[in-house]
Amino acid sequence: MLDLEPARPVDRGPTDRPVARLHDLRVSLSRNSRRTEVVRGVDLEIGRGEIVGVVGQSGSGKSVMSLALMGLLPASALPQVSGAVEVDGVDMATAPEAARRRVRRLDLGVVFQDPMTSLNPTMRIGRQVAEAAGSPAEAIRLLRAVGIPQPEQRYGAYPHELSGGLRQRVMIAIAIAGDPALIIADEPTTALDVTVQAQVLRVLAGLRDELGCSILMITHDLGVAAQIADRIAVMYAGEVVEEGPALGVLEAPQHPYTRGLLRARLSLETERGRPLHTGLTDAGALDPDAGTDARAPSGTEPATAVEEAVVERTTVSAPARSEAILRLTEVRCEFAVRDARGRRATLAALRGVTLDVQEGESLALVGESGSGKSTLLRAVAGLETRYTGTIDGPPRSDVQMVFQDAGASLTPWLSTEALLLERLRGRDLSRVERRERVREALDRVGLPETTLAAKPSELSGGQRQRVALARATIVPPRILLCDEPTSALDVSLAANVLNLIHDLRRQMGMTVLFVTHDLAVARIVSDRLAVMYLGRLVETGPVEKVIAEPAHPYTRALVAAVPGARRELPVIVGEPASPMAPPTGCAFHPRCPVMQDECPSTLEGIQLVEIGPRADVEARQHRVACVLRGEF
Amino acid sequence: MSSVAGEQLAGVPVAPGADPTPTTSVPGVPGASGVPLARRRGFPAGVPGARLLTGRLPSLVMIAVLVLLTALALLAPVLVPYDPVQPVGVPYAPVGDPQHLLGTDMIGRDLLSRTLLGMRTSWLLALVVVAVGLVVGGVVGVAAGAFGGVVDSVLMRVTDMFLALPSMLVAVAVAAALGPGLTNTFLAISVVWWPYYARIVRGEVRSLAVRPHVEAARMAGAGQLRVMTRHLVPGVVPTAVITASLDIGAVVLTLASLSFLGLGQPAPAPELGADTSRGMSELLAHWWIPVVPGLAVMLLSLVANLGGDAVRNLMARRG
Amino acid sequence: MARLRFIAGRLAALAVLLLVLSLVLFVLQEVSDADPVASTLGANASQEAREAARERMGLNDPAPERYLDYVGGLVTGDLGTSFRTRHPVADDIGTYLPATLELVLGALLVALVLAVAFAVSSVLRWRGAGLVRGLLFLGSTTPTFLLGILGLMLFYRDLGWLPASGRLSDRGAVDGPTGLVVLDALLAGQPAVAVDALQHLLLPALALAVGPALSIGRVLRSGLVTTLDADFVRTARAKGLTERRVLARHVMRNSVNGALSMTGLQLGFMFAGALVIESVFSWPGLGSYLGASIPVSDFPAIAGVTFVLGAIYIASNTVADVLQGAADPRIAL
Repeated sequence: MLDLEPARPVDRGPTDRPVARLHDLRVSLSRNSRRTEVVRGVDLEIGRGEIVGVVGQSGSGKSVMSLALMGLLPASALPQVSGAVEVDGVDMATAPEAARRRVRRLDLGVVFQDPMTSLNPTMRIGRQVAEAAGSPAEAIRLLRAVGIPQPEQRYGAYPHELSGGLRQRVMIAIAIAGDPALIIADEPTTALDVTVQAQVLRVLAGLRDELGCSILMITHDLGVAAQIADRIAVMYAGEVVEEGPALGVLEAPQHPYTRGLLRARLSLETERGRPLHTGLTDAGALDPDAGTDARAPSGTEPATAVEEAVVERTTVSAPARSEAILRLTEVRCEFAVRDARGRRATLAALRGVTLDVQEGESLALVGESGSGKSTLLRAVAGLETRYTGTIDGPPRSDVQMVFQDAGASLTPWLSTEALLLERLRGRDLSRVERRERVREALDRVGLPETTLAAKPSELSGGQRQRVALARATIVPPRILLCDEPTSALDVSLAANVLNLIHDLRRQMGMTVLFVTHDLAVARIVSDRLAVMYLGRLVETGPVEKVIAEPAHPYTRALVAAVPGARRELPVIVGEPASPMAPPTGCAFHPRCPVMQDECPSTLEGIQLVEIGPRADVEARQHRVACVLRGEF
Repeated sequence: MSSVAGEQLAGVPVAPGADPTPTTSVPGVPGASGVPLARRRGFPAGVPGARLLTGRLPSLVMIAVLVLLTALALLAPVLVPYDPVQPVGVPYAPVGDPQHLLGTDMIGRDLLSRTLLGMRTSWLLALVVVAVGLVVGGVVGVAAGAFGGVVDSVLMRVTDMFLALPSMLVAVAVAAALGPGLTNTFLAISVVWWPYYARIVRGEVRSLAVRPHVEAARMAGAGQLRVMTRHLVPGVVPTAVITASLDIGAVVLTLASLSFLGLGQPAPAPELGADTSRGMSELLAHWWIPVVPGLAVMLLSLVANLGGDAVRNLMARRG
Repeated sequence: MARLRFIAGRLAALAVLLLVLSLVLFVLQEVSDADPVASTLGANASQEAREAARERMGLNDPAPERYLDYVGGLVTGDLGTSFRTRHPVADDIGTYLPATLELVLGALLVALVLAVAFAVSSVLRWRGAGLVRGLLFLGSTTPTFLLGILGLMLFYRDLGWLPASGRLSDRGAVDGPTGLVVLDALLAGQPAVAVDALQHLLLPALALAVGPALSIGRVLRSGLVTTLDADFVRTARAKGLTERRVLARHVMRNSVNGALSMTGLQLGFMFAGALVIESVFSWPGLGSYLGASIPVSDFPAIAGVTFVLGAIYIASNTVADVLQGAADPRIAL
């Protein structure tokens, strides 16, 4: 996949000298004229050709540490640095600017999280690469090396004309220009789809093998770190609390914080029947990071922050009866949009979805961006009305929804109480009864009564999602729609919210329709899985079964792309096509490893058909839309 | 027109500390692309305010000054020492004359009296223009933003056209066509002023309307009217009020310019711009005759700007 | 392709706006009590003569027809006849426009210099930035005419450094092709005259520039602050580029858009301000022409001035739009 002949012979020098060395690094930043020590005495060495993963939740100081390593701490935050932070023997905090710039140009490459904002929107990507590479020819070579098809043509493209995965490859091309000794990758795959994430990780891992450079991989996702790192350092509150070989840290964690992080993390092996370990913070307590990213309550030892919330959790099994509460027939949804070059285009968000949801079941809709999963949910919610086909379900008041960004889903100027009371309008309730209902709802989601008067901005991320849940369930709905409610939360908070949704479902007997891009989450929250690709369902079936024996090549790629220790990085071709120009026939055919001749034009291949033994209950039936019907 | 990017005048007011360097633009207005409209009046919005006036007290004092000025304007007819239109002393009495604190003009009219009454006219008229602009523009903006679709495109096309025309020049033409007089001046300025508010309010409503909280409110069972009154409009009020209060100074200056060009009230009426213009010929020998009314305009605009800044600081603090 | 379509769209918008402007002026003409017949024939003309004149001038035609006539006139450069000077308005404007253009262009230049000084000094936290900021603020709360008056008192009356009125000390010194005296003097190889013209231009241009300078400077400043904070600037620095290169290649182009459209908008205020400031400095431009037309309700003259300046303003904003599209490929969509 990689074609990386170094442009010039590189003398990496003695291999025993580390590329970068951090010794008792302390960084304090000033915000709103309050100074906080964000990095609190970090010791870390990165050896030649080594991939070091730095894992921590938001506010752990990992990104500030990486900025210190580049010598690019934001001047507006008036940084104060002590200790050593050396790259190739140059101290990036104290050396003259010219020397640091030299290090950045020659020895360092950087890949940031969001390639959209990290590339200059008004400069052609080729020039941006050439700026680092020295010449257009070298830029094209690098673009080709990171797997950008037809680099000569893409040279003149602007960032907004590329897909997310290609943009991140452009960033990597910039990073590897000049054969740096160390590449710092700060959450390089967080903004990408799962299958694209796997591709980018492969590119990164390949860099070490072919260029011999070291990589500092900063991530919140233990699985990602585990997959490509040789060594892992776990950061908490500005300190490295544990460091060691990747597998050692993952399989025999020494520090309680690491243990907590590991337990809270969801993988395809997480036990489904038990409540999730929430690890790090107590469910009902105020999150210390309300609104800030400086979670470093000075004096709080990481160990004491670890509490194990054990909630009893009994599995809610799929319903025995087979009554559809929601019936979607041939739902199609198209929008008139403009494409990246400003031409009129039609975005086909849903291209004929037929699906029954059984009373009481929990169904997860899984797919990458552009799959139409969110549009489908919004159509069910009645928020999207531009669809054809039919959606038969309970009246709208029986359907409630929890949004991805809980903070944004709460009206900023209304208090929790006002938001909850609003749902009781039009009901014949006395004032006392209303109060009582509000209290009950709060109780159910584990929020203290003190949050009643609070506005959303005064709540932490986890609390906001709880308020949103309380609002949705104060009048028990028959169907609860969840749109990636945990994707913006740190693992421990996410686990909390998932437990809560599970409990609410059990208490109220709700049907849950859960949209997520994360198979591990889908596996925990649902009985049944529906996999979507470019506006169509490609596979449905009991969640364990689909994950264990994926019958559609796309599902198989999705499952393989879930990062984790000891998991091979799969070879996945291409990126999801644009819903503005979906491929004909089976939309997955251009990326399919087992494509057949008829796939580009197939009509049967896009129909869900039963496979495996016939199930008595619809929810237990495994179906796939593929000409091979799972036989490959 | 559309590239003036009214859509981008977005967002809930930012927290006061969000920007490390104190910004003087309207809170929530992002920099590069969104500002032009917010600042299109081109008149100032109180630069030192953010830096010099930190803390609540100075802001409250500034707002007290605003209120005081308004009271002064209302009571001016009672307060003035002399009849403003009749000669009441010797011509050309200088500033500091014991009988006439601000001197007299070329025919012996008391400048203090004329200036006070001129300030009254300017100030009250500016307040009315801003208030009317805010109400008309607000209604149009909320309607366009909340209903969207055809309503939005029609209303915004009209608004954009007004915005793309040179407002001051059109005001001059309107005033000239309608002839001199207070009402006509008011009409001339109001006609070109409201679209500005419509744009801002509409942009704000649109940016709020696409936030999930509006959909969440609909899911929660709130009807269209309730969504509008409870989940949209309250979010627009701070921006609208801040914009309006920062705008009073600009209206004062525009009124003075029209009046200076002879498009205000007819001759004997005391009016700051016209008085400056008529006094121009006396500049070299009797400087105070044009300068006093000119300074009065400056005072009004200064107070308005600092006051508008204070309003913004207080609201940013609250919100 | 997208670029071309974008430019075509802006041009179409320009045409529509000019039509709207003409419609506004036509409606105002209808509303105003100015009577062209009385102005041409005098107040004592007989009823029959008036009626004949009305018929001849097409004043009895239905309104839509008269509007079409009006637009047709505009297209062919016919702005009507001034009641006051009895000349075609277009000729009058041709006489006075160059002076106003010179004033506004001078002011625009001064405003841009001040704006950049303000924005850059404040972003880079230079010493003296506060002073620049404070002075601009005070200046922009001051009515233009007062700025002119104070400038005259200080630099003409007290210091005697700058002249008080007109464009040149010796009126007939140059008569050049552009009508812009500074330029014409340079073209004619008369640097002394050019300096004299510049001295005349300085005060009125400065008075006109202060307010717009603050507005443009503010937008530029916030654009710079936003861009300097952007992720892609961090990327550029991480490449090891020198700070100068980062600023020149990555920051400037992404910061100027707001300032550009603000400059376009400010031009409208400069034209309006020019009308005012010209009468302070006896500047022989459209402001003086307008100043003479207003007291006698010479509406064709007023409408003509409004239309011409308005058209220049709308055209400049179209240019600003197109420039923005050139600076940012995402806009031209």
